[in-house]
Amino acid sequence: MSNVSVRSVDAVPAPLLRAGKFLFDWIPLVILTVLWEYASGTAVPAEILPPPTRVVGEIQELIVSGEVYSHLFTSLFRIGVGLGLSIAVGVLLGIGMARLDPVEDFFEVLLALTYPIPKTALVPLAILWLGVGTETAVLIVFLACLLPIVLNAYNAAENVDKNLVWAAKMMGTDGRQLFRKVVIPATIPEILTGVRQAIPIAFIALVSAELIASDEGIGYLILTAGQVGNYPTMFANIVIISAVAFFAVRGYELLRERVLVWT
Amino acid sequence: MDVSVRELDASSVVSVLKSLYSLILVLVLWEVVTQLGYIHYYFLPPLSDVLARFVELTQSGEMLDNAYLTLKRAFLGLAIASVLGVIVGILSARNRVANWFFDPIIKIGYPVPIIALIPVFMLWFGIGDTSKIIMVAVGTFWPIAVNARDAARQVEQNLVWAARMMGTSDWKLLWRVIMPAAAPGIVTGLQIALPLSLIITFVFEMVAGGGGLGALEIQGVRSFQSTQTYAAIIAIMLVGLALDRSLRVVRGYLLRWT
Repeated sequence: MSNVSVRSVDAVPAPLLRAGKFLFDWIPLVILTVLWEYASGTAVPAEILPPPTRVVGEIQELIVSGEVYSHLFTSLFRIGVGLGLSIAVGVLLGIGMARLDPVEDFFEVLLALTYPIPKTALVPLAILWLGVGTETAVLIVFLACLLPIVLNAYNAAENVDKNLVWAAKMMGTDGRQLFRKVVIPATIPEILTGVRQAIPIAFIALVSAELIASDEGIGYLILTAGQVGNYPTMFANIVIISAVAFFAVRGYELLRERVLVWT
Repeated sequence: MDVSVRELDASSVVSVLKSLYSLILVLVLWEVVTQLGYIHYYFLPPLSDVLARFVELTQSGEMLDNAYLTLKRAFLGLAIASVLGVIVGILSARNRVANWFFDPIIKIGYPVPIIALIPVFMLWFGIGDTSKIIMVAVGTFWPIAVNARDAARQVEQNLVWAARMMGTSDWKLLWRVIMPAAAPGIVTGLQIALPLSLIITFVFEMVAGGGGLGALEIQGVRSFQSTQTYAAIIAIMLVGLALDRSLRVVRGYLLRWT
């Protein structure tokens, strides 16, 4: 009897079971979307809350017409440059502060004073210096991402296994080689954690900068579409930037699993 | 008494100087370079001018009025988000139906760069206080709910069983067992949400105006009074420092038993 029941479960192929569970898991979102579709135009005016079908149609249109690509590219470029700079500077600064006392003495108080300032509050300052546009957005993304990366690199470099360092030194590794061959590889997992923390922050910083001071980019599209009353476009762009942020984090996590095979 | 005096010997003075010299260096450089006119006044006014402006704005009451507006918006939004977030978080941790319902919503909602919704909230609720408060509440809800949920999930099952065996009711179980055991995680969520609430408030104020430190700051840029922008940033830094410190103190007090 028990044999039979086990076999009947086995008879359903595993992918199908997984697909079924997936569908079941996402039913609440389907319910909400259907509710939204019906509420729009009945409970709330359709201008204020365009129905999902309308928003999806708008996304399709933005993609087919190619209108969104240049803005999306601008936004991604800003994130890429800002995040890249913050990784380069943050790793150097974090490891430097952990391994060299003069570097720590110099930067510690400066970091302690600047870290309670939300970096998006520096957008007006960036406008003062760099005007409205890509440089301002890159600067804000860079500053916002710097701290999580510095902190993770610092903690990792502080806690590098002493035995590894001693062993390397005993074999005659000099200072620079010690850095390149021992300290940096040992800190990579935590640096990647720092980058993982920085990605969502980068998107918040980017959108803030583009809302306040930009003439391009998805944030700018959202704001201007709202200002001229083109609400389906506004919602479509919000969905686009959210999806990009979601897949950026997801893609990064998948990539990290592939790269960090030894941990 | 004696101990503290003895501790103030030469080495501790040296270590304090060592940790502060870079700050002093930067501030002195700022003042000297700007006084010599190497940097255009609009980009970087001398530190003394910025401080004078800061004092002036503080004395006229403008700074405090704007700080009050910002803090009011951030705190009210945060308070709403804390209540809702903790309720939703604990419900999804302890109840399968609630978890089934909220899990996909949290999965989709958490990664949204919530700042992007500011134009939506301007459309729905206008640019006044209400709109800003709701925006802060929506934005800070996610980290609070996720941290409360994860913390409540990890409550040791033995504690729950022991309480159950002694006949603890559902309500008491929640207040006496689950809430205290999940408290560290809930406070962590609040620590993540607090700076986020300030970020949302500042950006909203910069985009939509209506007073507050963010509006004061961007006004300085628009009216070519960069001293006002710098003075507002000093105020923002002080607010951030004060809130960060006090949250640590509160954390230490609330979690003194851990």
